[in-house]
Amino acid sequence: MDGGPQKPAVGWENGMLAPVDRLRTERADSPVPGLVEGTEPGAGQQSAMFVHAQSFEDLTAEAEEDVEREAELDESGEPSEDLKVLVGEETIEKQHNDDIPPERGTKEEDVSSEAWRSHRKHVFVLSEAGKPIYTRYGTEEALSSTMGVMMALVSFVEAEKNIIRSIHADGCKVVFLAKSPLVLVGVSRTCQSDKELLRELQYIYYQIVSLLTLTQLNHIFQHKQNYDLRRLLAGSEYLTDNLLHRLDRDPGLLLSAVTCLPLASSARDVVSASLQAAKAKNLVFSILLAGDRLVTLVRKKDQFLHHIDLHLVFNLVGSSSSSREGEGWTPICLPKFNTAGFFHAHISYLEPASELCLILVSTDREDFFNMSDCKQRFLERLSKRSAYQAMKEALKCPSYSVEQVGIPELRHFLYKSKSSGLYTSPEFPAIYQSDEEQERMMGLYQDLHSHLHHPTRPLRSFYRCSETENLLAWVTSGFELYLCFSPLGTKALAHSAVNKLLKWIRKEEDRLFILSPLTY
Amino acid sequence: MSAMRVDAKVVMLGKESVGKTSLVERYVHHRFLVGPYQNTIGAAFVAKPIQVGEKVITLGIWDTAGSERYEAMSRIYYRGARAAIVCYDLTDSSSFQRARFWVKELQNCEEHCKIYLCGTKNDLVEADRSVRQIDYHDAQDFAEEIGAQHFETSSKTGINVDELFQKIAEDYNSTAFQYMTAEETGVDLGLKKDSYFYSCCHNN
Repeated sequence: MDGGPQKPAVGWENGMLAPVDRLRTERADSPVPGLVEGTEPGAGQQSAMFVHAQSFEDLTAEAEEDVEREAELDESGEPSEDLKVLVGEETIEKQHNDDIPPERGTKEEDVSSEAWRSHRKHVFVLSEAGKPIYTRYGTEEALSSTMGVMMALVSFVEAEKNIIRSIHADGCKVVFLAKSPLVLVGVSRTCQSDKELLRELQYIYYQIVSLLTLTQLNHIFQHKQNYDLRRLLAGSEYLTDNLLHRLDRDPGLLLSAVTCLPLASSARDVVSASLQAAKAKNLVFSILLAGDRLVTLVRKKDQFLHHIDLHLVFNLVGSSSSSREGEGWTPICLPKFNTAGFFHAHISYLEPASELCLILVSTDREDFFNMSDCKQRFLERLSKRSAYQAMKEALKCPSYSVEQVGIPELRHFLYKSKSSGLYTSPEFPAIYQSDEEQERMMGLYQDLHSHLHHPTRPLRSFYRCSETENLLAWVTSGFELYLCFSPLGTKALAHSAVNKLLKWIRKEEDRLFILSPLTY
Repeated sequence: MSAMRVDAKVVMLGKESVGKTSLVERYVHHRFLVGPYQNTIGAAFVAKPIQVGEKVITLGIWDTAGSERYEAMSRIYYRGARAAIVCYDLTDSSSFQRARFWVKELQNCEEHCKIYLCGTKNDLVEADRSVRQIDYHDAQDFAEEIGAQHFETSSKTGINVDELFQKIAEDYNSTAFQYMTAEETGVDLGLKKDSYFYSCCHNN
């Protein structure tokens, strides 16, 4: 009803608005798709939590700076001869994308086997000297000649003062990303666009930088061009594997957004305030996670966390399930913040059996005991309050079912508030419970997403019917919305559902989003 | 939980995948986790009280990552440590080379740190003697040469694990009188400044 609008009114008069200076209407109860950025359901009331919250374009923009120098080699170009080495000849046999691929390749896989070739998506990382650094499937050693060919392709085109961007052949896309001193190559059979693939390669690049810093990376290769980087990355392969898995599965990485644990705003505010109170001189970010969901994030004034950096932190925490009793202390570079140096992250679970993980990011590597102390202060403060119990209760149902929205034909949706960089989405309904179905669903969303974010012909809305479901995607200056309906729905129904859904999200926004992020 | 007091800092060192985390898991939580190998990210800290005679001594155990990537950071973990458990894998001779490296590092930088040389995965060599790559006597000789204690442990069966940490606590207790001075009474995690940890970091 009118839950949202009252509290912020004070803030608005004080001029504590989010960056947009455009005219703001009241936070309407019945938001319409024409809403201005900053007033859509889920928009933060005081200030944004992330930098460039709507930064899908930021992420890919870098790669597009040299568009004019683009050299796209198509099937007729000569390098496709070399390509056969990479992807194999598959003109005769019919390749079905829905062939179930082996989930996670064992490292011992034979790289000359058909099974290896038919993986849906390969990712390779190599140094500019052509030395293998990472492969998603198989071992790096076995691929040194293949990677040599990749580097040859890159240098061949570079010699002509050009840049190789992608090769399309045989239903296969080969995408190149040169990020000196590394070269990343993606080979995909999915229907993702080049831009989407490039975005994924960027993530992998940032993952590597987050472990080493770009400064160290440059330093190493300046001293020794043919350095074997695997020595330094030893043991981190599973982080990259997991990140690739997330890229296939996690809508947050697709939307460049983060989802929150549904929690009553009163409880969330208490948790945030307790975190805010447990500050220290060098503490920059305090992040409380419940699994893959954000409970709250408190940051130093004027310091913003980029969602890519946050996803890297999620990946780091999610990948190390080992000891939940101890306290972790690890250097981490947040590449979107600064590629030159390390932050130091104190990682601990609030209770051994709990999903609640607290990450305290400090600038000082000697700060372990200070951070440990911050955590204690936070816990002491929080445990006295009922909000702690409320939060633990909320953990029992970290998601919600789409039925609660009350739109009969609606099966699933993704809603992203652009100004806050947060998204919400119900759990997958029973028909999409299997891994294959979820991946297929994500594939459909990826496809919609790439239509809305097409580099030259972006669409504002897109409706698509298929035998299994009907889909609608809609982007405005304030939000991005992706809906999945049963195949029996109609287009008119889909459009009327948008308004109904927005209304519902507005009603629930206190619970689904972080409306009042805090700073120290 | 608050203001945990740590008497002795203990650091785990050694090549990756020798089983440092497993050793700590076994000692602190009395369990052995089977499953895919997961390497430690950065380092993990855990405090564990241990009974020595009449007294209770709290060991602050730093389980460090073995990866070379974190080598530059390792100093902050072993600085001021009273004991270092330098681990090597009984079935991997290269891990013993790495152990020698850590011993040298400690001898150069932390003269007050007692070294405990620890051969891990003893259950594997018990099951099949041919997989042993590090001879017991070679390791024993090396330990004597550097004035270290030597243990062969198995985190899977738990053999020698408690003995190792008990020995560390006892050694700490008996030498504590010699080294202990007024300001070196251990680390109070509840305090921010002037703790042992800070005073030793800051004059570095």
